Amino acid sequence: MIDEPYRWVEAIANRREYIESELAPGSPTIALSCQEGVLLLTFGKDRKKIFEIYDRIALGGIGHPGDLERLRMMAIELASTEGFARSVSDVSLRRMTTYSFSPAFKQAFEQVYGAPYLARLLFAEVGATPADDLFVALDYDGSMSANSMGSGKGRDHFSVIAGTRRSATQIAEYLRNEPVGSLDSALAVAVRAWGVGLYTADEDHADIPPPEELKNFLKAQLKDYSIEAALLERKPKTRIAFTELGEDQVGSVLSEYKE
Amino acid sequence: MQLSESNSADAGDFVGLLRRSGALRDQKHLEGHLPPLGGQPPVLETQATTVLAFKFSDGVLVAGDRRATAGNVVMYDRADKVLEIDRHSVMAIAGSPATAWEMARVLEHSFQFYRRSQLQEMSVEGKVRALSKLLRDNLGMVLQGVGVVVPIFATYDYGAEDPAKVFFYDAMGAQFEATDFAASGSGGPSVRSILYYENAWGKTQLRDLDQKGAITIALRALDTAAEADTATGGIDRQGKIFPIVKIVNQNGITTVPDDVLSSLFQTALSPS
Repeated sequence: MIDEPYRWVEAIANRREYIESELAPGSPTIALSCQEGVLLLTFGKDRKKIFEIYDRIALGGIGHPGDLERLRMMAIELASTEGFARSVSDVSLRRMTTYSFSPAFKQAFEQVYGAPYLARLLFAEVGATPADDLFVALDYDGSMSANSMGSGKGRDHFSVIAGTRRSATQIAEYLRNEPVGSLDSALAVAVRAWGVGLYTADEDHADIPPPEELKNFLKAQLKDYSIEAALLERKPKTRIAFTELGEDQVGSVLSEYKE
Repeated sequence: MQLSESNSADAGDFVGLLRRSGALRDQKHLEGHLPPLGGQPPVLETQATTVLAFKFSDGVLVAGDRRATAGNVVMYDRADKVLEIDRHSVMAIAGSPATAWEMARVLEHSFQFYRRSQLQEMSVEGKVRALSKLLRDNLGMVLQGVGVVVPIFATYDYGAEDPAKVFFYDAMGAQFEATDFAASGSGGPSVRSILYYENAWGKTQLRDLDQKGAITIALRALDTAAEADTATGGIDRQGKIFPIVKIVNQNGITTVPDDVLSSLFQTALSPS
């Protein structure tokens, strides 16, 4: 059946439609550069979605838990093996995503007899300065968007993955206009950006809501969600940059949305 | 780089992963190239010597001299034999640095890999055993008289009643938990005697020493070991080369800076 070109295109299109519908309800994950490092933030209902991959690399994901787990393990194995065989400083997110992940995703997606990855990933790598931070968003078909790998393009200080394309676009739009300095300001901005993502996810709301409406929306939503946040420290005490942010660090930001 | 998937049976096993990926080889390729049992080793091996660890009032002190030798040649006078494995674990090595540094590297990555992949810290028993396994994997070499490593492993176990832990090993991988102290390397026997003497008949038992007292004993022990053992560096007064002294406690690992060692040394080695 799929040996004919048209059928193959059709099969791929069906597959794309299926995966998009599976990913659509996913809660957005946001990565944001600040002075202290890179903040990763999402809200979830039951399972963990932000993970440490290597000394300076973290991962956030939307999708099927089984696939996310496989991909997370692949990333950890890739990074650890290289870090051992060469050096910790040779482990690079740019190489890991372009040479390993993107081709693997594309292959799984286009081989229509096999199962594709039901996953959308957001990788972050903290650099020496905010201008060196790297974010790579990877989609189930292997397509990638990075905040800075090419030349000549203005670089973003953030990256985002969301269930729907519209939601991701609106979060990006929102973040582009929100200046970020310290970790506290990054947390506040990221929480609001997540709200924008959830607000614009459904068909009824196409645009970013006005501040007051966004606040009320978040107040209502946060009852059902719990926050998950992690920081890749720019200047960690040990080699390891990843720390999960506890209640004491995120509490004050969230208190604004408590009744 | 190629992606490979893991299954739950060997989840968190970094050594297994390295073997599969070819980054770590077993020693089959050496077969036929090593001397017969009891023969002369084919190469003059670099050796690193004299490390010690003991418990004191504020955790565990681990120290090592800086000399690495090959036969009667001093290879290096700034060798670091006290290696940090993770935030609360230190491995001190005596024997062949070629094998020992690689073991330390494998251990460090194994513990991190386990923590990251399994989302929990490896237990202290697990860590102690991981080193034991590496030593046993090295048995083939040990029997040929090459690449022998006799390490000390010190760590801080939050959950335990006596959280400061010191383990020592033999070259075949047997592990022993030390109640108070351990020493290894060519200067090990004299260090052991000193620590035993201090603990049994000294003014203060090792466990009750404060940090300053503990560092003083360590410096004295290494200096004494160097007196009769050419393979131990002791303290190089002219070159200002001091032993490596690290302290492991609830705050993690602290390396005692050279200037502290230097000023303590002034008083430590003058008669009291």
